[in-house]
Amino acid sequence: MTLPIKAFKAQHSIFLLLAVCTVFGCNPKKEDAPKKIAVVISTLNNPWFVVLGESAAERARALGYEATIFDSQNSTSKEAEHFENLIAAGYSAVLFNPTDSEGSVSNVKRAKKAGVPVFCMDREINSLDAATSQIISDSFSGCVELGEYFVRQLDKKGKYVELLGLVGDNNTWNRSKGFHSVVDHFPDLVMVSQQSADFDRSKAMEVLESIMQSNPDIDAVFCGNDAMAMGAYQALVASGKEKEVMVFGFDGADDVMNAIHDKKIKATVMQSPKAMAKTAAELADQYIKGKRDFMAKTPLAVDVVTQENINEFGAYGSEK
Amino acid sequence: MKKPLTYFLIALILGIVAYNSVYIKKLDDVKKEQTKATFDAKTYANDFFNSKLETVSSTAAADFLNNIKADVKGYSEENGNKLGISTDYYFIIDGNASVVEIEDEYILVTLDDDHQKMKIATDFIFGNAIREGTQMAHIGDYQNTMDYNNISVESNNIVRETILPPFIQKVKKSDSLYFKGAVRLNTKKPKFEDLRVIPLVLKIKK
Repeated sequence: MTLPIKAFKAQHSIFLLLAVCTVFGCNPKKEDAPKKIAVVISTLNNPWFVVLGESAAERARALGYEATIFDSQNSTSKEAEHFENLIAAGYSAVLFNPTDSEGSVSNVKRAKKAGVPVFCMDREINSLDAATSQIISDSFSGCVELGEYFVRQLDKKGKYVELLGLVGDNNTWNRSKGFHSVVDHFPDLVMVSQQSADFDRSKAMEVLESIMQSNPDIDAVFCGNDAMAMGAYQALVASGKEKEVMVFGFDGADDVMNAIHDKKIKATVMQSPKAMAKTAAELADQYIKGKRDFMAKTPLAVDVVTQENINEFGAYGSEK
Repeated sequence: MKKPLTYFLIALILGIVAYNSVYIKKLDDVKKEQTKATFDAKTYANDFFNSKLETVSSTAAADFLNNIKADVKGYSEENGNKLGISTDYYFIIDGNASVVEIEDEYILVTLDDDHQKMKIATDFIFGNAIREGTQMAHIGDYQNTMDYNNISVESNNIVRETILPPFIQKVKKSDSLYFKGAVRLNTKKPKFEDLRVIPLVLKIKK
């Protein structure tokens, strides 16, 4: 008669244990699992941004986090989807390269509202209180120096074309404004055309080919990034003018660094995606560990790389 | 009887929704609001030059040169201003000096204190030396960094258009002068002989 009672007691104990496990959890505690950091990049169709995204993820992993890279494909709506998903998935921080300085603000605000800190990299957003911090290249200063070099290389006279990046990106205008803050003071330097090629290599090639049909006698092309500089150079090769027309870029991308070394491209401005990504990941780590006092914006200095000093630099901000 | 009442209610609801969805403002008022929100870097720079420049403290040029030659990194970190993560530092210096040479882009002077040579820029007045040296603005206060950069552009314009022309007209070799200006110094690759002072004050002494 006693056995059934014992069996009932054992059964009862198992049910009780299961109930306790269900309520309080028998799995390893959530705190033991690595926290997650999202790396949201405007486009992975440009090697410079690939380096930015991978460097950010790499540094986050080295700091002990699980890191995932999201590609916004230069679309704010795609970016918005990523933000919705990563907020729902419980990411602890976002290392963010925005697609649009104005259009990306709402995504950052949504993350902030959900308690997820956002650290902008390379591109800024037009808000001082949405992102926890913004780590940006000092594009303006870089283009002031590049502008001075441009003026001296052209001996203060000649015709040139400017290829702008995405018109909704503040970097486009910071670079253009820095360049023009110098070049516009030399009246014999005439800009025959200024058009956007969206930071895109093929588009830059098409745009310059079209411009050169009505302006075949240009002396230089200033491009808002290196991808466009390579596209412009291709257009010049196609028209047999690559030796007469000087090309200037911005980024310090691998192919342009090689082209400067081979004396195909005149100069670029070296900004370091690795340094920006590393800084952003480390700030996110500090936030997760409790720090709350961050500078709204942290600009990173850039260097002008020319055919004269190319041997001092490696690609993407590494120094030799 | 019911149908007209239903239509009336639907029309009323649609009317309320439509009324609350559309706001009509005078275009002039909208433009005024936008202008109000636009930062005016020119006015900001002019105000600074007219009312705050005199209060900006400076280091004697000879002391500055001696200190950076002795310990460029240590001195710059302790006494210079820098923008974000950078090895460029900015300073405001002043001194009395004599004109040695007048070149296309600068005048070369010897300092009265210890006869060290310095270049005072008269062309290629570009960059952020004035803004960062004087600390007349802080990047964290500007939503769009271009507004912040425009302060440099406008400050340089004041030097180029107001401070330099009367000076360049009068200056000649052997003149004695007082200068106060901004200097950028790179501590990674310092080239002391290439330092150029962007002038904020230039006075030829009689």
